[in-house]
Amino acid sequence: MPLIIKDEYPEKLFREDGKRLDGRDKHELRPIKMEVGVLENADGSAYLEWGNNKIYAAVYGPREVHPHHLAKPDRGILRVFYRMATFSVFDRKRPAPGRREKEISMVITDCLEPVLFLELYPGTSFEVFINVMDADGGTRCACTTVAALALADAGVPMKSLVTAVAMGKIDGELITDLSGIEDKAGEADLPCAMTWFNEELSLLQFDGKMDLEEFSKCLTLGKEALTKIHEIQLDTLKKKYIEIQEELKGGENEQ
Amino acid sequence: MEREQDESIEESNTENNETEDVDEFEGDETSRDVVVPGEVLSEDTTNFLPGRGTIFNKDRTKIISLNIGLKQIQRNYINVIPLRGFYTPRPGDKIIALVTDKNPVKYRCDINSKEEGILKPKNTVKRGKPRGFRGGAPDRDDNSTEKYEIGDILIVKVLSADRLNSPELTTVGKYLGKRRDGLVISIDPPKIPRVIGRSGSMIKMLKNLTNCNIFVTQNGRIWLKGENISHERLLIDAIRKIEKEAHTVGLTDRMSKYIENEKMKRGIN
Repeated sequence: MPLIIKDEYPEKLFREDGKRLDGRDKHELRPIKMEVGVLENADGSAYLEWGNNKIYAAVYGPREVHPHHLAKPDRGILRVFYRMATFSVFDRKRPAPGRREKEISMVITDCLEPVLFLELYPGTSFEVFINVMDADGGTRCACTTVAALALADAGVPMKSLVTAVAMGKIDGELITDLSGIEDKAGEADLPCAMTWFNEELSLLQFDGKMDLEEFSKCLTLGKEALTKIHEIQLDTLKKKYIEIQEELKGGENEQ
Repeated sequence: MEREQDESIEESNTENNETEDVDEFEGDETSRDVVVPGEVLSEDTTNFLPGRGTIFNKDRTKIISLNIGLKQIQRNYINVIPLRGFYTPRPGDKIIALVTDKNPVKYRCDINSKEEGILKPKNTVKRGKPRGFRGGAPDRDDNSTEKYEIGDILIVKVLSADRLNSPELTTVGKYLGKRRDGLVISIDPPKIPRVIGRSGSMIKMLKNLTNCNIFVTQNGRIWLKGENISHERLLIDAIRKIEKEAHTVGLTDRMSKYIENEKMKRGIN
């Protein structure tokens, strides 16, 4: 269920017992559920539930580029299409891609490109279609996470997965994984993504007010959260194959 | 009228010789460890080198997997055999193609790769064959695309393929040409070596137990034809099971048991 967001935001974003509005601790993540291979006709696909976010991603490629003039003769291109469903937010979202969607598509493309070997596929394109079915804050981070998962599921050679999380500051306190209401009413938000190959930052956006000390503390805390999410990503990818292996092992022992 | 000769006569003794990739999947020390992109395979860089599907990290201190697949150690190389992936045409591959478009100069064929295959009419007719009565005039079919129609299923061989140009195909050769009967199913290309098995053991077993003719090609498509529909259905179910369990041990034995059981259940001889 999408949260019904009123025009006026609550004055305090912490409850009296020191927890956040949805009952989380300061550095607690929302419950995350991932699945791969959910779409039959895509080359690779993934589904993510992150708190109230529900997102599908599908990967196609390598395939020919249409329109043809976008093709690069020396390397392949990665195209990401981030779209929100009309029913994903409280007010109906107009279905045409707006400024925000184009920007986020571009941000995710730049974030994923460093882990791919595009120079091995000249004249072709990889296409990632991301559909946000239900949105509640931090969708660009969730989309990056799920897009990396779908690319790995498609068998595209990758240096590593990419994981993203939004850090932030509400009521003068640093927090991990902002929800929709904290994003809008809070003081600052800092979405960051990391490639695990060499552990480099791949996406870093910032909005709000924060001093440098808090900023570097945010990144340290962010890495802890990213490590947790990365574990879930790896488990999800392996689960599909290990389940079959263990099922057969169990069957043999019974016989 | 010799040129009208039907190449598909040879179907009855179709064999499969595409066993090059088998050792990759069934190497001696193939562990059944599933690895994912970015996973560190080894930190021992003095004794091991990255092979297929693996790279060094920037400082050359770790060997990292690029694919979702199975880890394999071959002498001092660490390889990852992918479980998902796409077909890249290589010269000499025999593959199943679908004619999607034709013009007077060439056919375009869907070969399940990133580019469409090009089949030129000169590659559809045998060269140096006496044409017509006493040699006669040059063959008209040499330069027109009337032999095949859009939607035909062809077994073709890749003549040339590289990263920049579209692959060129030919239908001249043993077992090559148009298929008029049977049916084609497609599976994930990386799982093809498992359907063939170690030196063709799996495919022999499938052929013997189901009385079907099979032609397995590297681009993930399998042509098959059996005595009747129930045999074909059994074979398709078996191939789907192989695809699902491609990363497990002792697959051939398990499959032969499975087929025997299913035969009893379905009442097929």
